Amino acid sequence: MKNFEYFEPNTLAEASRLFAEEHAQLLAGGTDLIIGMKAYTETPQSVISLQNIPGLTGITKDSDESITIGAMTKVREVELSEDILKHHTALAEGASEIGSIQIRNLATIGGNIAHASPAADTVAGLLAADAQVHISGADGERTVPINELFTGPGQTVLTPGEIITQFRLPSPASGSHYIKHKIREVMDLAFIGVASAVNVDNGTITDARIGLAAVAPTPIRAIAAEELLKGNEPTDELLTQAGEAAAAASSPISDLRCSAEHRKEMVNVLTRRTLQYALERARN
Amino acid sequence: MSEYSVVGQKLPRVDAVEKVTGAAQYGADVHPPGMLYGKIVRSKHPHANILSIDTSEAEKLPGVRAIITQDDVPSGRRVFATHKVLYLGEPLAAIAATDPDIAEEAAELIKIEYEILPSVQDVTESIKSSAPRLHGDETKDGPNRRSINAKIKELSSDQENNSAEIRKLEVELEKYTDEVYYNISAETHTEAGDVEKGFEECDVVVEDTYVIPRVHQTYMEPHVSVASADSSGKITVWASTQGPFAIRSGIAGTLGIPLTQINVIGTTMGGGFGGRFGVIITHVPAVLLSQKSGRPVRVQMTREEEFLDGRPAPGCVIKLKTGATKEGHILARQALAFWDSGSVSGASIGSTIRVRGVYKIPNIKVDAYGVHTNKSGTAAYRAPGAPQAIFAGESQLDEIAERIGMDPVEFRLMNMREEGDSVPAGGTEPKVGYKETLEAVANAAGWWEREADENQGWGVAVGDWTNGCGPGGVYVSVHEDGSVRIFHGSMDITGTDTAITQIIAEILTVPYQSVTIRRGDTDSAPYSTGSGGSVVTFTMGNTAKLAAEDAHRRILELAAERLNTDQDNLELKDGAVHVVTADPPKSISLGELAAYSLSTTGGPIVGKGSFARQPSTPALAAQIAKVEVDPDTGRTRVLKLVASQDVGFAINPMAVEGQIEGGVVQGYAWAMMEEMQYNENGNVNPGFVDYRVPTSADLPTVESVIVEVPAPNGPYGAKGVGEPPITPTLATMANAVKDAIGIRVSELPIKPEKVVEALKNNGHGA
Repeated sequence: MKNFEYFEPNTLAEASRLFAEEHAQLLAGGTDLIIGMKAYTETPQSVISLQNIPGLTGITKDSDESITIGAMTKVREVELSEDILKHHTALAEGASEIGSIQIRNLATIGGNIAHASPAADTVAGLLAADAQVHISGADGERTVPINELFTGPGQTVLTPGEIITQFRLPSPASGSHYIKHKIREVMDLAFIGVASAVNVDNGTITDARIGLAAVAPTPIRAIAAEELLKGNEPTDELLTQAGEAAAAASSPISDLRCSAEHRKEMVNVLTRRTLQYALERARN
Repeated sequence: MSEYSVVGQKLPRVDAVEKVTGAAQYGADVHPPGMLYGKIVRSKHPHANILSIDTSEAEKLPGVRAIITQDDVPSGRRVFATHKVLYLGEPLAAIAATDPDIAEEAAELIKIEYEILPSVQDVTESIKSSAPRLHGDETKDGPNRRSINAKIKELSSDQENNSAEIRKLEVELEKYTDEVYYNISAETHTEAGDVEKGFEECDVVVEDTYVIPRVHQTYMEPHVSVASADSSGKITVWASTQGPFAIRSGIAGTLGIPLTQINVIGTTMGGGFGGRFGVIITHVPAVLLSQKSGRPVRVQMTREEEFLDGRPAPGCVIKLKTGATKEGHILARQALAFWDSGSVSGASIGSTIRVRGVYKIPNIKVDAYGVHTNKSGTAAYRAPGAPQAIFAGESQLDEIAERIGMDPVEFRLMNMREEGDSVPAGGTEPKVGYKETLEAVANAAGWWEREADENQGWGVAVGDWTNGCGPGGVYVSVHEDGSVRIFHGSMDITGTDTAITQIIAEILTVPYQSVTIRRGDTDSAPYSTGSGGSVVTFTMGNTAKLAAEDAHRRILELAAERLNTDQDNLELKDGAVHVVTADPPKSISLGELAAYSLSTTGGPIVGKGSFARQPSTPALAAQIAKVEVDPDTGRTRVLKLVASQDVGFAINPMAVEGQIEGGVVQGYAWAMMEEMQYNENGNVNPGFVDYRVPTSADLPTVESVIVEVPAPNGPYGAKGVGEPPITPTLATMANAVKDAIGIRVSELPIKPEKVVEALKNNGHGA
């Protein structure tokens, strides 16, 4: 590990100021950063811990049923939160897929998202929850919808010094589900990830959101598939069409994990499946 | 009740406490004062000419104490590449610095000029004339043929006197095929019977090509060594190795240093599986750096370096053809195999003959080639070569069984050899447990009543292996408090120290807890063979037995003297010598005898055991898996996995079960997920993110079934247990998947994508 300067600021403003410097990195859970530093693939000159900044952790439910998750909340807490499990099951399921329990006790949801990996396990669930990302920087605060956060692999709209502070999940869906396509049962990276959330009223799908991970340069929503579902009764045929539409919306690459073709096929299969599970949850 | 009281018992390991508390000292825990940190500078390309290596800038960096290249190897033996690199990560230089970061920075300052050459990673490409040649060898012949031709040429100078010899060599040459293959590193050809005639008599003949990937042993502890050369030239090496004595002679041979100038201290081994015998990977660079810097130096590999420059198990391509009669008799089998030996020779091509298995196959022909590719060399991995060959052989047996409509277990039982059947290598089978072991797994798994829902399937396969044997020495001392101390020099590999301790406690009739074991370094301990090839319990067990029996003799001698009676009247039992004829009972404890011995002419109780070789007996591993395949995603879930193994005699059944489970899991991993992947730039998955080893969540509890058909020469009948359990698992999994989806996947690993692909090609819609 290369030498670096280490800071533990007590305020967001101070953290932003330090983070705006060149070759600065934020330290949240450290499960990506420290590994990179040990392998010399990350060589920051300054590391800024967010540990001492108050108000960045915890999951709170507001009166309008919306849920706020602090960016420094441990992934394990997201996974086990009763509110998340009940109202945003897909997100809890995504959180449960990250690394091992030991890793999840260190890793934060903010880090998982800010790292901007297209394969992040919480991102599909946040997309399906239509999460709003709260950001703090030198010029004040702003909010960005999660589907507008990413610009490319490892790239976001965050400007120098900007820090993600929390995620706000608006009114919950009636049912949601996340499936990660992988080889190993646990501790694998997503070959692809699909989260579907549906609102059902009187047997009709009133709203649907589908988040896709690792099938495009950034995590994406399968908008065309969502539109197909809205206002319709869920039939096998409709779900098949939605799966095909989601696959059409994806633009995966071939890499050492699998081919682009396989990823597209799995988007189709897993969109259909996550919808089936989400609808079943909505019925119960 | 067992006739034994300590052997055959599930006793806790002697090293359990030090392992669990973290007290065990591994290679990376060694830190002599003044130690420097070594770093190996590696090639960034898989195939390139080296135009220059400039270390001048790096040498100026404060904290750098030594930089070495091949110029610093006095013997000239190849440690570093000089003019040409043959794989990504091949060592070019090494640095010793006061801090790992400085070593890292110095590595970046070494300027290496490459002329990049096209590389070849696939054996089926490498054998073509269009492939780049790794060793600049333009001839079509392999090294064997070249050496035979050279010998014929040499003998031809005196044609008359050498005609018989020349004729013999010409006959030898005729065995070699006329096919022209390139980049051949070695070849072997075996034939028994007449395969062509054999196939003609068959009702069913099946042919297929099996592709098995290169996999890494993935021991938990990466290679590490700490070397310290003192001013007198004496060298001490703390080495994480399976064979300290082999490392000692390896370093001596590579560097031209007298054997006894080198002391190798084996540190606790974080797994080996056959991959921890390498001499030049870290040990030799550490010694050279220490010699040059005058300071102790640690060279420790990262996990990435393990993948780039470890010595993994070779992948291979096996074209196999098998024929049988409609009644189910296998008549002929023929294999053509290409083993990926990487940049050097040495892949387990000789293991190709294992396609014969434990079956009566009258006609068999095997042609096997080692093929150069731009990868690191290979080494042993748990039954080297057997999992690959047996995967092909046992996969194809199921295809035959299916064509002739026979149950796979019955088909195997019908063709298995028994005691007295002739074996291909000559002679006849001793008492073997092939059928017993297969029947045991079939019964335990519920094979005969098996049921399967849609997309579920059952698979069976067997694999055979015979443990090795080698020299060893053991001393046993009995102390005045009655405790017993063992001294030896073999590395503990998954419980072998425990087995040795049990054997000695059994013979000296003392409690297991009162026997302790101490390992010496190569300066102090008697010679011992490396801990690989399933040899340790067989060899060191026999050695320990001899040592304990020697001590036993001295104990009776002392007791006869002390109790003033004849030795025939004495019996060692429960840690004391009893006069069997005495009434009232009369006895003397081992402690009292040890104390008495100190003032005798004959001296203390010291037993010595020395042993080298006895014939071993083959062991069978038989396994059954039940799987469920998701036809849409291609993911396979294992529902049941049962493994039986003929272990001869289980000295510690708990340790034996551990070995069976470990072997099965590694075999499962090779079948389903592990694979070193390469492209034109070299290895592309040098880490645990994309080189997947399974976790406990991937498998159900492995049910182990211990079968005991004693080996005549094993201690208490024990056979080597470490290697057999990995041999059949690859085929077991492939056969279960075949049964589940009706499609044979003959290219490993059986990844979801391959299953989906195979189903699609057979008309299954997504």
